[in-house]
Amino acid sequence: MLGFLEARQVGLDDPGRLRRAEATRRVLKLELNKDRDVERIHGSGVNTLDIEPVEGRYMLSGGSDGIIALYDLENFSRKVHYTCKSICSVGRNHPDVHKYSVETVQWYPHDTGMFTSSSFDKTLKIWDTNTLQPADVFHFEGTVYSHHMSPVATKHCLIAVGTKGPKVQLCDLKSGSCSHILQGHRQEILAVSWSPRYEYILATASADSKVKLWDIRRASGCLITLDQHNGEKSKASSEAANTAHNGRVNGLCFTRDGLHLLTIGTDDRMRLWNSSNGENTLVNYGKVCNESRKGLKFTISHGCSPEFVFVPYGSAIAVYTVYSGELITMLRGHYNTVDCCVFQPNFQELYSGSRDCNILAWVPALREPLPDEDDEAETQKNPAFEDAWSSSDEEG
Amino acid sequence: MSRKRPRLVPETFGSRRRRGPGGAGEEPPGGEAGSVRRALRELGELFPRLLFQDALPPIALKSQVYSLVPDRTAADRQLRELRELGEVRVIQLGFDADAQGIVFTEDFRTKALASCRGRPYEGTVKRFLASVLPACGDLSFHQDQMTQTFGFRDCEITQLVNAGVLTVRDAGSWWLSVPGAGRFVKYFVKGRQAVLGMVRKSKYRELLLSELLARRAPLSVRLGLPYHVHDLIGGQLLDIVPTTSGTLLRLPET
Repeated sequence: MLGFLEARQVGLDDPGRLRRAEATRRVLKLELNKDRDVERIHGSGVNTLDIEPVEGRYMLSGGSDGIIALYDLENFSRKVHYTCKSICSVGRNHPDVHKYSVETVQWYPHDTGMFTSSSFDKTLKIWDTNTLQPADVFHFEGTVYSHHMSPVATKHCLIAVGTKGPKVQLCDLKSGSCSHILQGHRQEILAVSWSPRYEYILATASADSKVKLWDIRRASGCLITLDQHNGEKSKASSEAANTAHNGRVNGLCFTRDGLHLLTIGTDDRMRLWNSSNGENTLVNYGKVCNESRKGLKFTISHGCSPEFVFVPYGSAIAVYTVYSGELITMLRGHYNTVDCCVFQPNFQELYSGSRDCNILAWVPALREPLPDEDDEAETQKNPAFEDAWSSSDEEG
Repeated sequence: MSRKRPRLVPETFGSRRRRGPGGAGEEPPGGEAGSVRRALRELGELFPRLLFQDALPPIALKSQVYSLVPDRTAADRQLRELRELGEVRVIQLGFDADAQGIVFTEDFRTKALASCRGRPYEGTVKRFLASVLPACGDLSFHQDQMTQTFGFRDCEITQLVNAGVLTVRDAGSWWLSVPGAGRFVKYFVKGRQAVLGMVRKSKYRELLLSELLARRAPLSVRLGLPYHVHDLIGGQLLDIVPTTSGTLLRLPET
């Protein structure tokens, strides 16, 4: 560590190198921390989480009960023990709450004044954060599985929506209506994701086992359909031609630089693709258990080397290195199936939501504080860990 | 929990840097595919030749290779190289889309020729082995490929299917196959279920590897316990838990 600092100071290393090394070391030490938890708001499973990209301070969660809650992750209390409180929420008594389960929530990529949520009640709602009123509502014909708004778009404000029907709809925020339909899939669309590198490239994953990359400016059809065998027809039966997985494709995630795409499917496999030519890089992650009937939301770390992918694996979270496919560890702590996880890149923390209605915070295990750093006479203790007996001899 | 963690924090601040510049020239040329080749030979030793009266070449499964070479991506890459060099052929075994058998090309050729000696289709098989095998490294062949590129007539293709060198896959396409592999597949599927059953029936659904290997194999396990154990570990049908008493095999919870 001192060597890194010295090299950075003298100019032998570029500044990013120390940051990457420390971030990687912190990610490898992720574990549950008794001093940090997230307030429990949901009464049924947490389906989706999103942390705002501007400051990384506020987190949204959407649950199966239709409730959307907003949490402040930042610890200004100067105490070690901190509960991330929910600042506000769209609860069951709100007049415009979603009727059924909320499947995806996302912050507006450019500021926290707005967020979007989509639900099984066939609507996509645009909310104003300060007044917690819906500014706009889009209605669809089928249940909405997933939506995504491009994090880098400046020339358009389109939201890609994947519904039960085979057509991907693009809704325009400026005009308030659906501007585009992308045709090509044959069954329901389970996941959509914009590329973080190019504002016009969209990836969609469907239950018909195909993943398609689209350029939305192009009217005639998709750019590439990902093929797991890379064109070698001999490897599988002929029905499996041009499929990304041998089952439904559940989840999509671009790497942060947008050069690679990870897909996960119900054939218990995760695949890494080169997003510019659609080639399967053939990295073998082994069996990645996936029993989800709808989308699975997984996430990739940011600013580490090597990059890690956090995938919900039953009631645990599996951590793999992205480019070499090695299983690093399984993070265990939830009591029921984990549905979603998000990574906070500034502090290398992972938040995961599961069907046991809890959101768990995985924090890098810090070094223990040295005894002489502690100025106060008593250490701040969590009341749950204090015991009630007295050590005096009298009966007390 | 935190006691076990330190091993995960590799030498981020230290030897990772030192390993960097020296890593490029470490592997000797030809040593890249070395670990998979060694694994295949080891698995070939485990294969029971006498059970099939020496009529079958030693078949190893891809999942067994993963058990011996833990880095799957590297194992895949080395297998691809061996296939490109023409040293091994991959055979689709049919009972599972994932289960692929690997044979050394030389063994496959000798056994295939031995199995068709004296039969009427011997000439066709010889022609197939001589012309198609070196040219096309795929697992399967198509109608137009066989008729146009290699000049086989329909009746000759039927002879190859009868000989057991080709298996029907679809209308107009065939998998490459080992003659007499049907018995192997039957014993394999039964044996795999039997070994899984041994672990399933044990208390807490887990067994020490040493104890499993020391037990008497049930009659349905003809190919040998170590052969099946490698396949189950590599195919992730059993989880490996390292303990102080040795390796523990456990059925996965999901």
